Amino acid sequence: MADVPAHAIQRRRLLDAMLTGLGAVALTAVVGAVLLMVGGHDPWMAATAMIRGSFGSGRTFVSITLVRSIPLILTGLAVAFAFRAGVWNIGAEGQLYAGAVAAVWMGLAGSGLPAWLLLPLVVLSALVAGAAWALVPTLMRLKLGVGEVITTILMNFVGIYVAGYMVHGPLQEARGVFPQTDPIAEAARLPMLLPGTRLHWGFGIAVLLVFALTVILRYSRFGFQLRAVGASPEAAAVSGRIDTGRVLLVSFLGSGAIAGLAGGVEVSGLTHALYEDLSPGWGYTAIAVALLAGLNPVGVVITGILFGALQAGAGAMQRDAGIPAAWVGVVEALVILAVLAIDKVRKMGAIVREDAG
Amino acid sequence: MSRILARLTGIERRFGPVVALNGADLELRGGEVHGVLGANGAGKSTLLNILGGMLRPDAGRVEIDGEEVALTSPRDAWACGIGLVHQHFTLVPTLTVLENLALGSRGPAAAPRTVRAQAERIMERTGLHIPLHPRVESLGVGDRQRIEILKALLRDPRVLVLDEPTAVLTPEEIEGLFGLLRDLAGEGRAVALVVHKIDEVMDVADRVTVLRSGRTVLSAGPAERSTGDFVRAMVGDDAVDPIALGLGEATEDVGEGPREPGEETGGSLAGSETRTVARVEAVTVEDARGPRVRDVTLEVAAGEVLGIAGVEGNGQRELALVLAGRMPVSRGSVRLPDAVGFISQDRSSEGLIADFDLRENVALALQRKAEYRRGPWLRWDRLEEAAETIRSRYDVTAPSIRTAAGSLSGGNQQRVVVGRELAMASQLLVAENPTRGLDIAASAFVHEELRRLVSQGVGVVLLSTDLDEILALSDRIFAIARGSLVEVAKEEWSREGVGAYMLGGTAEHG
Repeated sequence: MADVPAHAIQRRRLLDAMLTGLGAVALTAVVGAVLLMVGGHDPWMAATAMIRGSFGSGRTFVSITLVRSIPLILTGLAVAFAFRAGVWNIGAEGQLYAGAVAAVWMGLAGSGLPAWLLLPLVVLSALVAGAAWALVPTLMRLKLGVGEVITTILMNFVGIYVAGYMVHGPLQEARGVFPQTDPIAEAARLPMLLPGTRLHWGFGIAVLLVFALTVILRYSRFGFQLRAVGASPEAAAVSGRIDTGRVLLVSFLGSGAIAGLAGGVEVSGLTHALYEDLSPGWGYTAIAVALLAGLNPVGVVITGILFGALQAGAGAMQRDAGIPAAWVGVVEALVILAVLAIDKVRKMGAIVREDAG
Repeated sequence: MSRILARLTGIERRFGPVVALNGADLELRGGEVHGVLGANGAGKSTLLNILGGMLRPDAGRVEIDGEEVALTSPRDAWACGIGLVHQHFTLVPTLTVLENLALGSRGPAAAPRTVRAQAERIMERTGLHIPLHPRVESLGVGDRQRIEILKALLRDPRVLVLDEPTAVLTPEEIEGLFGLLRDLAGEGRAVALVVHKIDEVMDVADRVTVLRSGRTVLSAGPAERSTGDFVRAMVGDDAVDPIALGLGEATEDVGEGPREPGEETGGSLAGSETRTVARVEAVTVEDARGPRVRDVTLEVAAGEVLGIAGVEGNGQRELALVLAGRMPVSRGSVRLPDAVGFISQDRSSEGLIADFDLRENVALALQRKAEYRRGPWLRWDRLEEAAETIRSRYDVTAPSIRTAAGSLSGGNQQRVVVGRELAMASQLLVAENPTRGLDIAASAFVHEELRRLVSQGVGVVLLSTDLDEILALSDRIFAIARGSLVEVAKEEWSREGVGAYMLGGTAEHG
């Protein structure tokens, strides 16, 4: 069984995933504190600044942490959905940029259309563009048997540079000064979810999607087939007579569409324009978000908010404690290492318990 | 009396909520072949795995040469001279046979030349022939089994432990293996083996230990007790007549005795118009290695059992997949009904998903049926009901239908697969070695179920390496050799007769 990567990264039950997650956070706190001290910083100050900057007040939490978590939750869902089907989509970053470019283009080209028409078009174009970005790796996997890990990673670079080209060229603002697009039409912008905050409807979309994916995976025939293909393609094909190619196609494109949606939601809900460095690597962090959540959609909300808090707190840490925001990258890496370590230890524990009775 | 090489007393072992062993004893003497019998889930594999150092007991003593030892790993067991041949294959598919053989050795002993010389010497002595250079992934299960045995013999163990070594071997190979085991015992070694067919055990063993529900209930020489005593010890005291189970002492008179049930179905067919449920015409299947199935034409009638006998690797695997609608053909036409049940011989990778629970494994096949769906949704209420029915009807030992399939014993897994596929097969069932790895009671039950299915007008294609099974159940018998199918005439229906057809093709094969 060891030859099937699907078994290496197994889905975990939500409670189990949460226990691992809490342990990982605690372990990260301890190791991070030591590293900060070695770096000549005061870990206590760093922690208080970080918590103030992410959970300090209801307003901070909603307007900063939750807003930052939206693209992480969406890309995290994209990754979790693909991984559950045994599709190793590492390309959420590129798919996100494709979605952002398409959404902005639609938001600019469609100015003059009413919101009830334009907004759905913006969201739809982000979905389609994300799926289209995943189409090349999908076809290479299905028709040529080329592993998707490499192709999706490579498509990330293409996506990032296409977005860069767009803001320098065809989609650059009318003034032609900065590498960014003009703001999209008012009618193309997602409305606020909570008036008086910066929390836009992207969060609502993310929560609805979590609900939809949970129901699909648990109760629909397709969701069952997807889980079966992810757990054992041979058994799915022979015992279930499941068309594994079709399941791979749908889950891969679906994953791309969700990642594209993340990009579309970001420009439509928050930035209202496309910049060169729109994403600080959400599509990669998404892998950690999904894994920490045990590939469970509901868990992705929790881990997405956690990573959102880390990124929100990074700014405050730099401002108030004078600690470079790059430390957050270290913390994120520590979280992943801690998850893997705790998982491993718990598995070994289970084996030892099993052995000892 | 010869020396006791290994003794296990009062062994207990649980797997989570499942009690596998609960006071099992086993005593292995130098110079004896020791058969271990027991129903599915009786704890045979667990006991042998404890002796082989794969599992640790919760309680009980393990003594080697009269000294208590703690075997915490296979390495410990090897150091004590215990060699375990696994029920499940532990070979690396991408390595060659020779490389696999060298895997367990270190230093100069692992040099290809040394391993090859040693392997060839053992093959010479034992008649256990395997090509050394192909990759394991290109070989069939029969060959893989032989490699496992050879691998164990390479280390010259004093106690050789084999878990179901005969399940995938042909009759000739089984005879050869038994001869070899006796020779090995003759050299002063102890040989312990699990074999499901009681006749085989009686044939080869000097002593037999019977386990029931994790406990040793009988240990005796085959001559000291009747076959019935052993069977009763296995299945419990609720007086099971071995003849009723279809066991009989029917090794010689196969041509007559076990035909009874088949005649029933044949009789019911004779009267009525036979309806064809599946037809393949001039079917050829080719892959990179060349043609696997050559120009096969076959019709399966409703209510018949069509037996296909063949030596592993002669195309029956591909033919089974074609008949089950799981493999496209290179040439020819295939007409199959919608409702085909398929019992795959590869239970662990094709039949079940280890991470899925029983409910989900049952759903894996049943999700194809309209009655378990509502629009795009699965009807989990009905699926759970079906899973419960299979669990109780097929007597699957599992705490609940939420138990992961991977945590069940092989026999219980097979019950789940058989139950599920019989539920799928309203017109055609294709069964590949359906009783492989099952004990006699469970095998008899599966045969009973197949007959019930046939009496309901389902056509059954039975592909088996077990000739007794083919002879006992079939209405028509075909032999497959090098991809070609030949019908075996009724007057040649015997182990020897069918065996000759099976070998007909392979003998000339280079």
